[in-house]
Formats: sequence, structure tokens, C-alpha cells
Amino acid sequence: MHRALLSGLASIVLLVGPATAADAPPGASSCTGCHAPKKVADSVIPHINGRKAEDIVTFMREYRSGAWPSSVMGRIAKGFDDQQTQAIAAWFAAQPE
Amino acid sequence: MATRRHFLKFTVAAGLAPAVVSAQGKARVVVIGGGFGGATAARTLKALQPTLDVTLVEPNPIYTSCPFSNAVLANLREIDQQQFRYDGLKGAGVTVAQTSATAVDAEAKTVALADGNRLSYDRLVMSPGIDFNWGAIAGYDEAAAQKMPHAWKAGAQTVLLRRQLQAMEDGGLVVMSAPANPFRCPPGPYERASLIAYWLKIWKPKSKLLLLDAKDAFSKQRLFQNGWAELYPGMIEWVPLSQGGKVTSVDPATLTLTTEFGSHKAAVANVIPPQKAGAIAAQAGVADRTGWCPVEPVAFESTLRPNIHVLGDAAIMGGMPKSAFAANAQAKVCAAALVRLLAGEKPQEPILINTCYSLLAADYGISIAGVYRPDKGQLADVPGAGGVSPLVAVGGLRGQEALYASSWFHTIVAETFG
Ligand SMILES: Cc1cc2nc3c(=O)[nH]c(=O)nc-3n(C[C@H](O)[C@H](O)[C@H](O)COP(=O)(O)OP(=O)(O)OC[C@H]3O[C@@H](n4cnc5c(N)ncnc54)[C@H](O)[C@@H]3O)c2cc1C
Ligand code: HEC
Repeated sequence: MHRALLSGLASIVLLVGPATAADAPPGASSCTGCHAPKKVADSVIPHINGRKAEDIVTFMREYRSGAWPSSVMGRIAKGFDDQQTQAIAAWFAAQPE
Repeated sequence: MATRRHFLKFTVAAGLAPAVVSAQGKARVVVIGGGFGGATAARTLKALQPTLDVTLVEPNPIYTSCPFSNAVLANLREIDQQQFRYDGLKGAGVTVAQTSATAVDAEAKTVALADGNRLSYDRLVMSPGIDFNWGAIAGYDEAAAQKMPHAWKAGAQTVLLRRQLQAMEDGGLVVMSAPANPFRCPPGPYERASLIAYWLKIWKPKSKLLLLDAKDAFSKQRLFQNGWAELYPGMIEWVPLSQGGKVTSVDPATLTLTTEFGSHKAAVANVIPPQKAGAIAAQAGVADRTGWCPVEPVAFESTLRPNIHVLGDAAIMGGMPKSAFAANAQAKVCAAALVRLLAGEKPQEPILINTCYSLLAADYGISIAGVYRPDKGQLADVPGAGGVSPLVAVGGLRGQEALYASSWFHTIVAETFG
């Protein structure tokens, strides 16, 4: 009886387990369409995984204000406020380089 | 609203009945369609939650990418560089059923397959892409497409159109027809016109291209038209709706396209017909009278049938265009939301990005970008963000964007197919 109960519980845990701990913050999963998780020989778009969060935030702020020129990042950075940008930056900083 | 309703319904069901637990105690997700939306969804689901049982249903063993297929027409790429297999998905633990889905039973939560099998699901993801509204242009049917290719699903049609262009005499007239909105890849017809002109300029410099359009404005219009004037003066003539651009019938035997204003005889004709969601969407009851699929903007669950999520070209995504970039971005958001929903949690409010690059020549790229978030039941543009490349390019910007375009392509196919 205990066994049955335990395996019943196990299957529930399987379902409701800590699935969402690794949820990327809103917006981050779209960045990886251009910024590959690994350095790819075929891409000249800079690699940002494992970069310091504060550096990513600085880049995004300067792109947003136009202080740093960019082809596309200015148009993208304008879609994110400081708080959203910080969450995304922290997430990329925590990704393996 | 719809999300919340479905969400509540789901939690209640989960609390009362073992409906979401299969024999193995694993939640099951079936994905229909192994394109940019479906393949990304299947891979991401497995990556986020390895214990999920994920089955991808896709009849073709090899996927041929539409993005960059216009470069194949211009001889800048070969068709096999557009092709990707599903080994990466299999390696990631996705079960690939190489067959078509023939029927979805939303009540029983099952999918019938052409090979006779039936799959049950807890959640279904559909990313079946587009089908054509054959007959919307009188005379344009599947047989006519063998004479006047659409090349709007990449593969044999792309190769056929390229062969026709190569066989054409110098001085021949290429006629394209573009549909009204909405359709797959809003800047696609204009990128195609550009790259055909690029190729004609080198190999058939006496030829011209006539682009008949069923609308009066198009994506990145000023950038395209400025680029055409700069790169291909006098070669591309664009005819908008108001000047007789809408093609109403074709005659494949004589390669004639007839508009509301007159007829044009082509040496090579490329007809991009009006479109709708892939046929299985209507069968499943998730397409509305427009032919496309309404969804809520958080997990992209159908507003017509619960537990079915629709992605990519097939779905009505508010401000987001029908692009591979968008389908891939939506798939990642949907996968994260599904993991939460299957755990009885509420998905987070997403933000999505879209960027469509277009090539006007091998080393001349432009882009349009947007950032989107749920607003009043739709994905809406985040105000102040997005837009197109500047009209005046400084410091080799067009060349840089052409490089970024190909970088994006390599990155997105790696993320989608592994
Ligand atoms: C010429 C051209 C150029 C383009 N260029 C770009 C570009 O530069 N950038 C960009 O972002 N986008 C571009 N696009 C758009 C892009 O191709 C689409 O937006 C994208 O493919 C949509 O992804 P999807 O998953 O919705 O559909 P698809 O990628 O078409 O995938 C649908 C899949 O579903 C399968 N399927 C259909 N019905 C069933 C069924 N009943 N059972 C099982 N499987 C089924 C199909 O076989 C197919 O593999 C271009 C399109 C064209 C035509
Ligand atoms: C359409 C492709 C695309 C998308 C999507 C995209 N980027 Fe970028 N990113 C670029 C390009 C290209 C550059 C180089 C600057 C430029 O020309 O815009 C860049 C540069 C950067 C840099 C500077 C890195 C360096 O070392 O110079 C950072 C940081 C960055 N992006 C972060 C992000 C974040 C965060 C997101 C998601 C919110 C994102 N990017 C989405 C294409 C993209």
C-alpha cells in the first residue's frame, strides 16, 4: 500500500515538479533567435551567454538611447524597460558561455 | 480571458481526475508540423522538461526552409543548403512520427495519423504552416502551379522556378503576383523581386520584372523602392492594386495573368496565391471564417478549442507577422507556458521579438523589427520599439545587415533543428 501511494506521489511530482525554476524572463527567449547559445563560426552576431549582467545592461541602455550605434539593437532595446532588461541580463549572465 | 478560463478548467480537471497522467505518469504533448514553429516547440519542450513525452508529427523526412530560398532563385545558394533533417530532435528525445495528422478530436484529445495510428495528448501544439486558397485566382490550381510556380513552399517549386528563369531568353518578361494581406512573409515577394533582378542584371540584362500586387502598400516599401532605383534602375515595375495590380485569373497554357485592368503575357510567371492556415487547422476546428486560427496571446491556446495551441503562420498573432523568426519565438514562449500549464501553474506574460531581414542583393540587407506583448487579448506592438532600417545607410550598413541576415539564418536553423 505504501509502495502504491509512493509511486502515485512520484508521478504527481513528475507532473508538477520544479519545471518552472529555469523559466527565462519575458523577452529573453526571443534574443536567442539571433544570439546563439554557443559561438557559431557562421555567425558574426556577438555571443552574449555568460557575459557580465551589468555589461549587458549597459549595452542595452546605450542602444536604447542611441548613444551607441547599432543596426538593429536600438530598435529592439526600446521594447524593454530597465527592470525587464536587468532580468534578461541576469539570465544571460547565468547561462554557460 | 480565454487563457484564464482554460487555465481554471485545467486546474479543476487536474485536481479531480487523473486525466493528465498517462500510464507512465508522464504528461504527453503532441506537436503537428515540423517547421520553424513545431520543431522549435518540440525541442524546447524536451529541453525545459525532459520528463515530458513529446511526439512530433511531420510527413517529410527533410524540411526545406523558405527563408533564404529566394537566394536559391538567384543562384546564390543551392537547395540542399536549405534542407534540414530531424536527427537533432530525435537525439534530444523527441519521438518523430513520420506521417501526416489526418484528424484531431478535441473532445477525446486524440490525433489520428495517416499511418493508421492514433496519439492521445494532454496538450496539442499545431504549427502546420499555410495552405493555398486554390481557385481564389481563377485558373490557378495545383496543375497550374507546375507551369506558373508559386515557390511559396520551398523545395521542388523553388527548383522549378529557378530552372524556368535559367531557361528564359534574355529580354523575357518575368511576371510575379503578390497577394493581399495577411500572407506568409510580408516582405518575401519584394525580396524575391530584388534577387531575381539581381540575377537578371548579370545573366539576362535585357529582361524586366513586372510585380502585380493585390495591395497598395507593402512591408519596408520605401527601402525596397529606393534600393530598386539604386541597384536595378528601370528593371522592376511594381503595379499596386489601385493601378490594376490584382490578378483575378491566369491561363497556364499561355502564361497569361489577367488583372482588373488588362492582361500580361509572361516568359516566366511566379504566382503567389492567397493563403490560409494549413488544412489540418480547419479540420481540428481551430480555424475561423478567415481561414486563420485565433489564439490568446500568452500561451497561444486556441480560443475555439481548449488544450490546442496554434503557432506560426497558421495563427492570428495580432501585430506579429507570419515569419520564421516569429514562429520560432512563439514556439519558445509556448513551450515554457505549456510546462507551467502541465504543472498546474499559470504561465508568465511573455514579451516577443520579431525581425525579418531581406536581401536586395548578395551584400545588401535591410530589416524590420518589432517587440510585442499581450494587450487586450492580442499580441500588440510595444510602442516606441521596432521599425525598419534607416532610409539613408551610413558606414556600410547594408552590407553589415546582409551579414547579420545570414548569421540569423544559421542561428535560427541550429536552434530549430539542432
Ligand atoms: C520565399 C520566402 C522567404 C521567406 N523568408 C523569410 C525570412 O527571411 N525570415 C523569416 O523569418 N521568415 C521567412 N519566411 C517565412 C517562413 O518560411 C514562415 O513564416 C515559417 O516557415 C512559418 O513556420 P511554421 O512553423 O508556421 O510553418 P512551416 O515552417 O511551413 O512548417 C509547417 C510544417 O507542418 C507540416 N504539416 C502541415 N500539415 C501537416 C499535417 N496535417 N500533419 C503533419 N505535418 C503537417 C509541413 O510539412 C511543414 O513541415 C519566408 C517565406 C517564403 C515563402
Ligand atoms: C535580429 C537579431 C537580434 C536579436 C533578436 C537580438 N539581437 Fe542583440 N545584437 C544583434 C546584433 C546584429 C548586434 C550588433 C549590434 C547591432 O548592429 O545592432 C547585437 C548586439 C548585442 C549586444 C552587444 C554585445 C557586444 O558584445 O557587442 C547585446 C548585449 C545584445 N545584443 C543583447 C541582446 C538582447 C538582450 C536581446 C533580446 C532582448 C537581443 N540582443 C536580441 C542582433 C540581435
